[in-house]
Amino acid sequence: MTTEALPRVAPSGASEPVIAPDATYASVTETIIAPLVQTRRWTLWWIAFLLSGLVTGAMLVSIIVLFTVGIGIWGVNSIVVWGYAIASYVWWVAIGSGGTIISSMLLMTRQRWRSAISRFSEMMTMFAVAIAGMFPILHLGRPYFFYWLAPYPNTMSLWPQWRSALVWDFWAIASYLFYSIFFWYLGAIPDFATVRDRARSARGKIFYGLLALGWRGSAGQWHRYEVIYKTIGAFGVPMVVGVHSVVGLDFAASLMPGWQESIYPPYFVVGALYSGFATVNMLAVLFRWGLGLQRVITDRHFEAMAKITLAASIIMTLSYLTEYYMAWYSGDSFERTVVAFEFTGDYAWYYRAMLVGNCVIPQLLWFGRIRRNPWSLFLISLIVDVAMWIERAMIIFNTLGRGHLPSMWHPFFPTFWDWLLLFSPLGFYTFMLLLFSRLVPTVPMHELRQLVHEEGRG
Amino acid sequence: MNERRTTIFDGTSRQQPRPASGGGLDRRRALELLAAGLTAGLAACSSPDEEIVPYVNMPERLVPGTPLLFASTLPLSGYGRGVVCTSFEGRPTKVEGNPRHPGSQGSTDPFAEAAVLQLYDPDRSRTVRLQTEVSSWQAFVGVMLAQMQGHAGDGGTGLRLLTGRVTSPTLVRQMGEIRGRFPQARWHRYEPLDDDNARRGARLAYGRTLTALPDLGRADVILALDADPLGVGPDQIRNARGFAERRTVRRDGAAMSRLYAVEPLMTLTGANADNRLALAPHEVGDLAVAVAAALGAGVDRPELQPVAAHFADAVARDLQQHQGRALVLVGQGQPPEVHALGHWINAKLQAPVTLIEPLDPVQEEHADSLAALLNDMRSGAVRTLVMLECNPAYEAPAELGFADALKRVPFSVHLGLHVDETAVLSRWHLPATHPLESWSDLRAVDGTASIVQPLIRPLYDTRTAHELLPLLLGQIAASAHDLVRDTWRPQAGPDFEAWWRQALHDGVVPTTAAPGVQAPEPRLPDLGQRPPAPGGMTVLFRPDPTVWDGRFANYAWLQECPKPLTKQVWSNAAHLAPEDAKRLGLTDGDLLNLERGRELVVAPVIVQHGQAPGTVGLTLGYGRTHAGMIGSGLGANAYKLRPAASPWAATDVAVSPAHARSEIDRTQLHFDLEDEERHKQILPQLKLADLARASQELPSETPPPSLYPPFEYPRHAWAMVIDTTLCIGCNTCVLACQAENNIPVVGPVEVSRGRLMHWMRIDTYELGSDEDPRPGFQPVPCMHCEQAPCEPVCPVEASVHDHEGLNVQVYNRCIGTRFCESNCPYKVRRFNFFAYNNGQEFANMGEEPVLAQHNPEVTVRGRGVMEKCTYCVQRISWARRQAETENREIGADEVVPACAAACPTRAISFGDLDNPDSSVNRLRKEPQHYAMLEHLGTRPRTTYLALLRNPNPDLEEGAS
Repeated sequence: MTTEALPRVAPSGASEPVIAPDATYASVTETIIAPLVQTRRWTLWWIAFLLSGLVTGAMLVSIIVLFTVGIGIWGVNSIVVWGYAIASYVWWVAIGSGGTIISSMLLMTRQRWRSAISRFSEMMTMFAVAIAGMFPILHLGRPYFFYWLAPYPNTMSLWPQWRSALVWDFWAIASYLFYSIFFWYLGAIPDFATVRDRARSARGKIFYGLLALGWRGSAGQWHRYEVIYKTIGAFGVPMVVGVHSVVGLDFAASLMPGWQESIYPPYFVVGALYSGFATVNMLAVLFRWGLGLQRVITDRHFEAMAKITLAASIIMTLSYLTEYYMAWYSGDSFERTVVAFEFTGDYAWYYRAMLVGNCVIPQLLWFGRIRRNPWSLFLISLIVDVAMWIERAMIIFNTLGRGHLPSMWHPFFPTFWDWLLLFSPLGFYTFMLLLFSRLVPTVPMHELRQLVHEEGRG
Repeated sequence: MNERRTTIFDGTSRQQPRPASGGGLDRRRALELLAAGLTAGLAACSSPDEEIVPYVNMPERLVPGTPLLFASTLPLSGYGRGVVCTSFEGRPTKVEGNPRHPGSQGSTDPFAEAAVLQLYDPDRSRTVRLQTEVSSWQAFVGVMLAQMQGHAGDGGTGLRLLTGRVTSPTLVRQMGEIRGRFPQARWHRYEPLDDDNARRGARLAYGRTLTALPDLGRADVILALDADPLGVGPDQIRNARGFAERRTVRRDGAAMSRLYAVEPLMTLTGANADNRLALAPHEVGDLAVAVAAALGAGVDRPELQPVAAHFADAVARDLQQHQGRALVLVGQGQPPEVHALGHWINAKLQAPVTLIEPLDPVQEEHADSLAALLNDMRSGAVRTLVMLECNPAYEAPAELGFADALKRVPFSVHLGLHVDETAVLSRWHLPATHPLESWSDLRAVDGTASIVQPLIRPLYDTRTAHELLPLLLGQIAASAHDLVRDTWRPQAGPDFEAWWRQALHDGVVPTTAAPGVQAPEPRLPDLGQRPPAPGGMTVLFRPDPTVWDGRFANYAWLQECPKPLTKQVWSNAAHLAPEDAKRLGLTDGDLLNLERGRELVVAPVIVQHGQAPGTVGLTLGYGRTHAGMIGSGLGANAYKLRPAASPWAATDVAVSPAHARSEIDRTQLHFDLEDEERHKQILPQLKLADLARASQELPSETPPPSLYPPFEYPRHAWAMVIDTTLCIGCNTCVLACQAENNIPVVGPVEVSRGRLMHWMRIDTYELGSDEDPRPGFQPVPCMHCEQAPCEPVCPVEASVHDHEGLNVQVYNRCIGTRFCESNCPYKVRRFNFFAYNNGQEFANMGEEPVLAQHNPEVTVRGRGVMEKCTYCVQRISWARRQAETENREIGADEVVPACAAACPTRAISFGDLDNPDSSVNRLRKEPQHYAMLEHLGTRPRTTYLALLRNPNPDLEEGAS
């Protein structure tokens, strides 16, 4: 490696390359396109695909039972009216944020190492947001009227209640989902063209040909592509911040102790990035291992992502401390009760586990060896994701379970159906990711080829 | 238009078709035909398969959709409470109190509210049964007449009748006729919640049985000795109203009475007391003797613990100082000597007590009457046993072995509403008519008679006791209506029909209240004979606050009505003092073995602060085996442990932990307000003496500002004020709301998951210390906030503010996000997690007869929608329509929601804030007025008056 090449690709002066030193245009393309066009047997993929298909089936059963019998099958009650569905909703939409940030914020800040991981993180976002969008509908008492949140002309001459955070939420999620699909598709157009050109079957040619929208790779097309992609990419960051602020407002725009806090919007944005990044970490490790992408996703990537995860952990810890401080400083006994309940109440063990998972364990990432080892990073990210789910559940249960009137303090008891709908969407998520990993290039080839060019080895 | 309008039904138009363009039809005619065709088609669609008959002659007074009100009377343990029942097209739906009736005074109790559910109970017995076979009235009448033929020769030897307490003049008259015909026949009477001790006590004091009627409304100082005048019972409403009269503290200054309670178990009376002392039952007697001694009875003052001695002295001084306005009440569980002593003290104090002749015509004591019957049954002397609306197989103490004795009776007949424990053991079971379907008459506790008139023809082929008894005399076709009229004809004067109509209309027979008796100076009882203190644990038997003695076990509203002090539902529990629970190593929900003789009863423990150590409290009415689908198999059967000789306490019960658990289903899990801030913001309690400083003790009157513009209320602004001082925690409002607003029952499992549907709840908070607990009650309906947190968060505007300040929930618009409830600081909203009322009902609550109870003025909510208190918007709407019809404004206090109407203490006031004359406007100016959680800025329309207590300063901590 030459010293001149470094400043262009290494933002923080790190010495590792962001692409394998011997990579060429052809080798990059071949590596990435292999899952889509190769005819070799994908036994493991098929096993994973079928297994995740089964779990997806369980999710469908869970939803059918929910719709037939009613949300009484869950553990929600008159006091803790929200349960796993809302915690899962916040969790999933947060998972999505990681992908957008990788793609968009790093694109804007010219972090070129993003290229290798941007495509699947966008896919991750797309499916996570889609699953997230499912929960608020499932959790409704009358889900078949969910569209009443939309301001469509109707015989009742009614519009939604614009003061309600849930309406803001509806728009946030809808825009975010639309945005993620659009951004992902836009970035994949040149790659669809590459696959089209290499597809061996007529069906493949037609399928990818349609997706490629007649991409020829002309200089004019590249120019327009670059303009629009960067422009759309620029929307990504405010989009993520906005969406998660609105999710935070679902709670903050209330008057319940423990929710009514101005810290909630930024706190939710950071929380979202935190769990989103942890998920990117995990998926990057898995994709690299499963699709043989060691040449394009390098230790350097893990190093960078681990640092962001660590930074997010510290900000989260600071947010928690701010909450405790404000509860004490406000002198409000209702707020103080909630904080005391977090540490000593019905869910104290979960809450403590959450603090360990979110604030303590990620501190291991101060050590370089742990940062660069994909599997240790995977484990830490997994713990963070679990802890972040618990955090969302705790936000709901602690506040609703310890409201203003002690007569109305009641715990939440999850049921079998709560657990099923908590875990089964993970199967659906896997199912969709597996499916798309064989349909769409998981790494943007054209960007990598550009990287190879810029590294000076084209 | 000078041309006459024609219709297609108009012959002339057919003969002379008007000129029409085109196809011979003009627009009007086309529309007419279209409309006629549509109407015909629609009519064809909706007609049922079976033949239906419309009203040919509309019944007089019946306007479809307009309810009619009828006065009637409902029995509780034989005594009547006058009610006014609402009936829609002949379908009774709601019971309210009858203001003219002294036993109800316009209010109800939980049992009266549940009467409509009782009427429509799907488990009601519908057919005559011969042992286990379905039979018929015809078959029974034949057999019965033959059986009575057998008695004709022997004057009724071996003929026995068993009833509960009977006050009905007609039934008493009929019983008299039977005894006239069959002199050897005997009438036994057994009421499980007896008044034997009071009867014996009166005999000790006066030499004959007299009933004492205390007037709490004329008492400044009340000492309740193990008595629970505010607890459930036939006299609850009268006592509560009297009590409330002297507890209504207003600016214009009526004085507040002082209530002392000395009792072994925590009761509603104890909870409402100003000073309370927990003492074991025998110590209560000692304290009574000490008070009597201090009042100059010349009896030996017994040895008392220092606290009790101090208490006795302070009470005696207070009683002495309020001669003529001081009152002592003695509970049924106390021995006759203490009752007699109570009479002596009351006479000494010239207490506001009226003595009347007992209304119960049976002279024998309940226990003796039952024991005599059982002796005869066992000896084979009983050939014919007729049991009228009683359930001795369940209600008799188990040690008497009623079930076995019944097997020795060759011919037993049971008349009852249900195929209950007694019915299945009897030879014949006859279905009884419900009071709302019957003609009868009843007396209130004070003797006032009233007519029971049916609101509906009997739903099934049933008979009343009045119709059954003539069979014994060989009369086949008796009409209860005629029998009741015959009873009253002699007293009515010349124009009987007018008198009768008036009595039915008023719901009270005039001048029938029992006259006061001039009794001699009561004798002091011989106090030397009192039994020694028991060694081990004493099990105390008490009526259950929601199922009474077990007869209400099958009514789901009552089962799901939280017990006032523990908030337990759907079962009972063994109440233990904290000391005993600690000694036995038990906490709430641990099972306790209670063993007496061969009987073992297992009950979960509830640790009750303020209970006297050494006692176990157990309510009657549970552990039923044949109550029905709702009430069977719930809780522990206290009758198994009940000694026949001392039915209120058992000292020979072995108490031991069962080393197992059974979680207690409760609607409230936390009773502690935790900190000062919460006390102040939620349920502040003040001493009467501190009322002047109320403003410092209560939350500020100025709510924080709001960014949203205030609403305007051009015509009315509905508001409610609840006086927590007056709320005695009786639950009547909860039941009234349930009956009025079609509130579903969810069952014990759903309750334990926190899904109770009650719109009105009573929060119980522990306001005293652990040593001297004093629960406070706070009824919580929707607050109808002016800045309601639920409104802006609903994404679809299902929760909206109306022009009169009601916070209304539009069920059709609700999609069930539940954001409103999560944001409601008062947590008054209730969500239909299942279709509790519409397809997924609990047990048999969805069956056809139950549906008939539904109030047609109130929507039945489906699955997935939020609901809550509406301030009985249907009643507001009714009043508005009335006022508009009569071209006037709605009166200041004209609208009365169901909860306010039912409340026996009138703790709930409702009215129009925009009307300066309304009571809510006056109450809002009282010094103790406050709004719950006012600091949140919700500006609730439901506000409260703080809980005032009037403790004796001599009993303050530190005072000596």
